[in-house]
Amino acid sequence: MVHALNEIHRILKPRGILIDLRPVEDNWSVEVVTSTGNQVAGKLMDMPVGIADDNAAFQAMNEVEALGWFSKEKDDEFGFFYIWDTPSEMKSYIDEEWEDFEKMDDDLYRKTSSLWASANADARVRVRVKMWIAAWKKL
Amino acid sequence: MTLQKDPEGFEKKNLDSIVDLNGKHILEVGCGEGRLTWKYASASSLTIGFDTDHSALRIARADSSPDLHDKVRFACASAKNIPFRKETFDIAILAWSL
Repeated sequence: MVHALNEIHRILKPRGILIDLRPVEDNWSVEVVTSTGNQVAGKLMDMPVGIADDNAAFQAMNEVEALGWFSKEKDDEFGFFYIWDTPSEMKSYIDEEWEDFEKMDDDLYRKTSSLWASANADARVRVRVKMWIAAWKKL
Repeated sequence: MTLQKDPEGFEKKNLDSIVDLNGKHILEVGCGEGRLTWKYASASSLTIGFDTDHSALRIARADSSPDLHDKVRFACASAKNIPFRKETFDIAILAWSL
């Protein structure tokens, strides 16, 4: 990871900017959304691989900052939404695509399904992914 | 399955708020299918996205719009050995890839 950051440092012009944009583990919330409002059903469970990946990424940026390659200019967090029509579609996606990162337990799935079934006909379900964005200036 | 990702466009809004992409030479490291690339590339003077995944790059190229054809390029490469000369780009974007 640090080697790749060294390569990025090499190809950037003096005072060029590196943008680090990625999801970070934070027990992402599951919500039922309708045209009239949102209801939080609960939280997903962070998995060890995802937590380790986040730690490694932050550690790598700390290392290159300590090496004097980059200095952080700004950072921020925001929500990135994945939206499905039904809870079953959401559950399938999480199980297949996020297996190493987030887990939806059976209780949360039942609660989400119940809220969705009793909501308006336009109800959908979403996961609020926590995103991290930072701008690093080449030194 | 119907899946929407970031329909409100928060990712692009936050990218715009943290860096000025206008007229810049941009390298996107690990661009995948170009989902984000195509959202910001119009502001740049040149955008090059690279990834090791040939299948993803095929999709990225297929999504090209004619008006951006001259300013967006995709390449198959690894971040371990970026195939460009030193001090070529104003901005490097690591999107979902660090």
